[in-house]
Amino acid sequence: MRAGGAILTPDETQLHTWMLSAQAGDPVATRCLLDGLAPRLRAFFRSKGARPEDAEDLVQETLIAIYTKRAMFDPEQKLLAWTYAIARYRMIDRWRRTGKRGLDLPIEDFEHALSAEETEAGDPTRDIARLLGDLPPKQRTAIELVKLKELSIAEASAQTGWSASDIKISIHRGLKTLMRLVGTSATGDLS
Amino acid sequence: MKTDELIEALARTPETAQPNRLYRRVALALIIGLVLGLVMIRLFMGFRPDIGVTAPMVAMKAGFSALIATFAGGLALRLAKPIGGTTGTIRRLAMPLVLVILSAVAIGLITLMATEPGLRFVAFTGGGFPWCIILIPICGLPTAMLLVWAMREAAPTRLALAGAAIGALSGGVGAMIYAMFCSIDSVTFVTIWYVVGIGLASALGALAGARLLRW
Repeated sequence: MRAGGAILTPDETQLHTWMLSAQAGDPVATRCLLDGLAPRLRAFFRSKGARPEDAEDLVQETLIAIYTKRAMFDPEQKLLAWTYAIARYRMIDRWRRTGKRGLDLPIEDFEHALSAEETEAGDPTRDIARLLGDLPPKQRTAIELVKLKELSIAEASAQTGWSASDIKISIHRGLKTLMRLVGTSATGDLS
Repeated sequence: MKTDELIEALARTPETAQPNRLYRRVALALIIGLVLGLVMIRLFMGFRPDIGVTAPMVAMKAGFSALIATFAGGLALRLAKPIGGTTGTIRRLAMPLVLVILSAVAIGLITLMATEPGLRFVAFTGGGFPWCIILIPICGLPTAMLLVWAMREAAPTRLALAGAAIGALSGGVGAMIYAMFCSIDSVTFVTIWYVVGIGLASALGALAGARLLRW
């Protein structure tokens, strides 16, 4: 999809349609939506003065927020206004968490981590696994089974013996925690 | 983690979104909050002894409070969802609530003017410190706490404003509860001090919201 570049800059109407399908649980539309929003978010955060590496963290936090809170989008709303409202909120929340606008962070400390990631990238599950390691076991297992191994909720339920709603809740909570981790992993270890 | 990988991971097996979960939770919070508050006031202060005879007045006061709660509730539900930045939008959304409150205060002042000068002080203060401004927020506290729980489903992007709306809603519910105890039926007293009590709850909500509503 990204390599093919069939849809370079989907317009708001298209994104809106994808959002409605994403709300209905369509994985392809969800992916198209997030893919379509990512560059806009990147541009948004850079225009607000975030450094590229901060901007990327913020993009990821915002994408997770868009995904986990997609029920909070009303079809009558404008999708981009909704998206930027979340982006703006995530940015403010980040300033609150880091105390300042993140300008005085010792960047060298995680420059190394960034470049390491750059060279060893390729196995998506490994990077995700590292983040997942910080989650409580139940949330981790639920996310691993459903999101990484692509089992259905029912299959995951059969495999673990947990109820379907139990698994759904664990995934939901796990994603929320993940959202926090993506936001703090860059800064949390340093302070 | 790279953004592409994140998107890939997120988009695998998404579930159907459940927008109604928020509304169900808010409804539950309001019902339980109201019942808890009523039990609280019954246990610690008791209903007004003449509640049987004064039922119409009690109903009027509770209804007045419910009216404010309704408008505050509408605002709170809107602020539960991401909202674009312009001040104009928010001003427009808050307008109905502001108008209801202004007309209540206007009615209070007009009735005060119509009261005989010698009785005005009593009509205004109820003959002492208007404790309701403290007790209304307290009666609304269970509702407020439950609403904070309900809002975990939500995605407010203006935390202080959302907190203020939730505070006003809780204050409105608190005033409905307090009406069961309150024995002052002067229109001036109710319109002015109930509004002040609800306003205080709203201010507290704005302060607490910035902290409690983060997500």
